Amino acid sequence: MDISPSTVIFAIINFCILVVGLKIFLYKPVCNMLDSRKEEVANNLNSAEEAKLEAQKLRDEYAAQLQNARSEAQDIINQAAKIGEQTKADIVNEAREEAARLTAKAQDEIAREKTEALNEIRNEIADLAVLAASKVVGKTIDVADHQNMVNNFVKEVGEAK
Amino acid sequence: MFLTNIAYASSGHEAAGPLFHIGPLEVTSEITTMWGVMILILVVSYLGTRNMKRIPSGVQNVVEMGIEMYENFWTDILGRKRARQLMPILASFFILILCSNYSGLLPLAGTLPGLKPPTSNVSTTAGLAIIVFVLCIYYNIKTKGIGGYLKHFLEPIPILLPINILEQFTRPLSLALRLYGSIYGEEMVVASLAALCPLVLPLTMQVLGILFGAIQAFVFTLLASIYLEEATAVHH
Repeated sequence: MDISPSTVIFAIINFCILVVGLKIFLYKPVCNMLDSRKEEVANNLNSAEEAKLEAQKLRDEYAAQLQNARSEAQDIINQAAKIGEQTKADIVNEAREEAARLTAKAQDEIAREKTEALNEIRNEIADLAVLAASKVVGKTIDVADHQNMVNNFVKEVGEAK
Repeated sequence: MFLTNIAYASSGHEAAGPLFHIGPLEVTSEITTMWGVMILILVVSYLGTRNMKRIPSGVQNVVEMGIEMYENFWTDILGRKRARQLMPILASFFILILCSNYSGLLPLAGTLPGLKPPTSNVSTTAGLAIIVFVLCIYYNIKTKGIGGYLKHFLEPIPILLPINILEQFTRPLSLALRLYGSIYGEEMVVASLAALCPLVLPLTMQVLGILFGAIQAFVFTLLASIYLEEATAVHH
């Protein structure tokens, strides 16, 4: 067991070379790779988290929009229903008015017809009366005088009635 | 020296001697094996991290898992910040020692010139322990200042000064000797068993060698990280 100085020196030099070589070929690339991968994973996780938050935000937004749309639709439906109700009421009223108007018109018509009919009957009666009277008297009275007379009579009767 | 040579020769080991020289420095089999181990480690790391993908597969998975395991292990001891700072050194200790220990399991390791587990030689383990020693002093002075570091020798009571100083040296010494003794011993036993019966017998010890190699690498690294933890600890 004798120590040879040159072997000691070589061992030291060799070791220094090995450390430098391994630093270049092994530790640096591997550590860089491990670090960069670590960083990448962290970044990915962060961005995933961000994406998740973003998605959540969008979801909330859409939910709010949906809710809005729903309530708007409900409003529209309510309004339409109200308008429909109004229209219905209007139409019914109109119809009622129309019906009342028609009824009134018909009644007027009837009254007018009745008056006309009565007048006609009166004239007819007067004619008949003149005819009968002329038959009874045996002579023909002046038709126009007679007519006047009967008319007056009928009028009196009518007024008396 | 003579006796060791005898032991080497009798167990079929090459006599430990320099293979060739670089300048004034001798290159031994341990050093060439260490280079081989280093090249292997670096090539594997290069292949494992050559084109890293976001979604890992194959070697990248293994490499990433290993590094993450190391990091978690040292985060428990040192805390996140210091673990990041010291992990290159500590993980290199572990990988280098583990592979060095296992290089002794290769066939003909110890007999083939240029192939001998680096950690079975006290000089290499001493080199590694010296690195830990120097790093401890460096980090102590860096975090506590020279005054703080020197004052630390008088704690908890000044009378412990000699023991504290002694401790500074026994630590690397024990690191070096523990690793060397364990691997060298295992190699020796394997060699002796191989000399007795080269077929199956050494296998039993080599299976244990897998366990010892991992344990020794772990112990060395763990102790080094505890020493460095102490050195970088900021007192409040």
